[in-house]
Amino acid sequence: MLELLGLTKLYDGTPAIQDVSLTVRDDEYLTLLGPSGSGKTTLLRLIAGLERPDAGRVRMNGTDVTALPAHRRSLGFVQQNYALFPHMSVADNVAFGLRYREVDPVTDDAEVARRVASMLELVGLTGLDGRMTGQISGGQKQRVSLARTLVTEPRFCLLDEPLGALDANLRERMTVELRRIREALGVTFIHVTGNEAEALAMGDRMVVLDEGRVIMVDEPDVVFGRPETVRVAKFLNAYNVFSGNAQGDKFGVGAHELPLPPGTQGAAHYAVRFDTASIARGHGTAPAGHAALPAKFITSEFMGAKVIYFLEKDTGGVVEVERHLSRADPVDYTKDEPVTVHWDLADVTVFDTDGRRIYSPEALAGAA
Amino acid sequence: MHQLPILRFSLAVYCALFILFLYAPFIVMGILSFQAGPEGGPQFPIIEWSTYWYQHVLGFAPPSRVAPLPIGEALVRSLTLAFATMVVSTVLGTLTAQAFRRKFKGSNIMFYLVVLGMMVPGVLLGLGMALVAREAGISPTWWGTAFVLHVVYTYPFAFLVMLAIFNRFDPAVEEAAWALGVPPGRTFRKVTFPMIFPGVLSAMLFAFTLSYDEFPRTLFTGGSDVTMPLAIYGTFAVEIHPNLFAFGVLTTLFSFALLTVYGLLMTASVRKGRSKASGIQEDIT
Repeated sequence: MLELLGLTKLYDGTPAIQDVSLTVRDDEYLTLLGPSGSGKTTLLRLIAGLERPDAGRVRMNGTDVTALPAHRRSLGFVQQNYALFPHMSVADNVAFGLRYREVDPVTDDAEVARRVASMLELVGLTGLDGRMTGQISGGQKQRVSLARTLVTEPRFCLLDEPLGALDANLRERMTVELRRIREALGVTFIHVTGNEAEALAMGDRMVVLDEGRVIMVDEPDVVFGRPETVRVAKFLNAYNVFSGNAQGDKFGVGAHELPLPPGTQGAAHYAVRFDTASIARGHGTAPAGHAALPAKFITSEFMGAKVIYFLEKDTGGVVEVERHLSRADPVDYTKDEPVTVHWDLADVTVFDTDGRRIYSPEALAGAA
Repeated sequence: MHQLPILRFSLAVYCALFILFLYAPFIVMGILSFQAGPEGGPQFPIIEWSTYWYQHVLGFAPPSRVAPLPIGEALVRSLTLAFATMVVSTVLGTLTAQAFRRKFKGSNIMFYLVVLGMMVPGVLLGLGMALVAREAGISPTWWGTAFVLHVVYTYPFAFLVMLAIFNRFDPAVEEAAWALGVPPGRTFRKVTFPMIFPGVLSAMLFAFTLSYDEFPRTLFTGGSDVTMPLAIYGTFAVEIHPNLFAFGVLTTLFSFALLTVYGLLMTASVRKGRSKASGIQEDIT
């Protein structure tokens, strides 16, 4: 178990990490989502011991490791740019930690070779052990970096945007691979990413980081379906968030009023998921139990299995609507055509003036 | 890019003139070193082509009115001094540059203090050192006072070379090694040093050559046992014979040999991995 207790780190007086407390369980895949500048990398460096916190403690399995330097923490750290040793072959890169670590180095060459070979097999790099790091592709470098770390059998492995530099195709493959490798070894992964889809898809649990603070920790389906604060909803890139104020059971957005679900007085933000809204031609009124918002069509994006429509409210601001082609056929609109966006009132998420959630739909069907 | 032929031509001529200008002194010296001896002097025309003066320098020529160059011991001294200076300056320069990788209090002032060693006029520094040594009751020697000044002079060069190398060095590589449980000292030996080795070679070359023909600082602090540049200068005071030119050609050839070794080491350190890996690639295909 890895515990962070009130971690704080300042850079020139500005906090990069503020009072972060978090418990990471054994044998779990934890994803850490945050926009750039939210302190993700700083948090990883604090855990790894590459930075000293200004306040707070890091505990590993009950032992305080806050004062320990990086090489005594027995943590794995896979860096964003891989940081392979350019003057060594793939096999020597992987063997490096085993051979030269301070605690329990492996001196038997045959043993090193055996463990390197089995790790290279696990990450799918068999046969490349003699190559230099300059002669392999980005995806292979990423695997070498991972193998180099995992071969030392850390209990916790920190991954800093491990898929960031890979092309889309490779990224998808590595997503599956990473989960498979983690499960095979039973090691805890702490995976930092700025990509909400990655965080949702890969984590057993996910942490949302904003301006150096943890703003939500939960399972991905809960984070996605019931974001705790309006900031979380915004990071997920799956919600249309309208800000305004409530008057009685109406919520004012520009000149329009949207009906509010019951018991949501004091609403300040009103969020509708892209995939729960739909579009009707022309300006019309909403059926009972639905809310409607007039808009005009701007453009659409064909994504294969779905189409994303970009609409503009009267008062400016983009509204996105997703249409899954397995459920409905795509519809063509002309530019600036007036349309109405409507949605079921039961699908709405509402936040108060502090950004806290005060209303949300029932949990996703099939969610644990 | 498409270039005008006339531009290419004029650039080529310019380049040729530049190289001619650069090497003219050496070429003239090289030609005159083949003057006939012992009667031929250090001027044109060449009376007769011969290798007499080379034999004279190396001590094979029969005794004549021209005294042999007093350079045997001076050369050994200079080489020893240059080697010692090279080792000390490179180690100091590398360590200092390592310290400068992080900002520390007073790092700006420190930087100028270090670099000052190569800015202060050599004659003044030599004279100052001689005065200090006399006040302190230390007799000037080439391996003592002069050696210290050689280090003061060459250490900033080594430092600047290493500073440039560390500027391009990615610290993430070291952090990766630490995170693998490898302590910092071992990380430096196994990761950092092999990666900065080409820079270390350059720093060594700088330190060696600068010390090898250092003159003003050694003049005041070298004591009675002279180094090679001082020995050569000493012979000017009597009479100049072409044996000096022959010696000049020989030392220049020595410098070229040194440069070749440097170049070979450099390519070896860069290409070491590449050739190793391509061998394996051939095995696979």
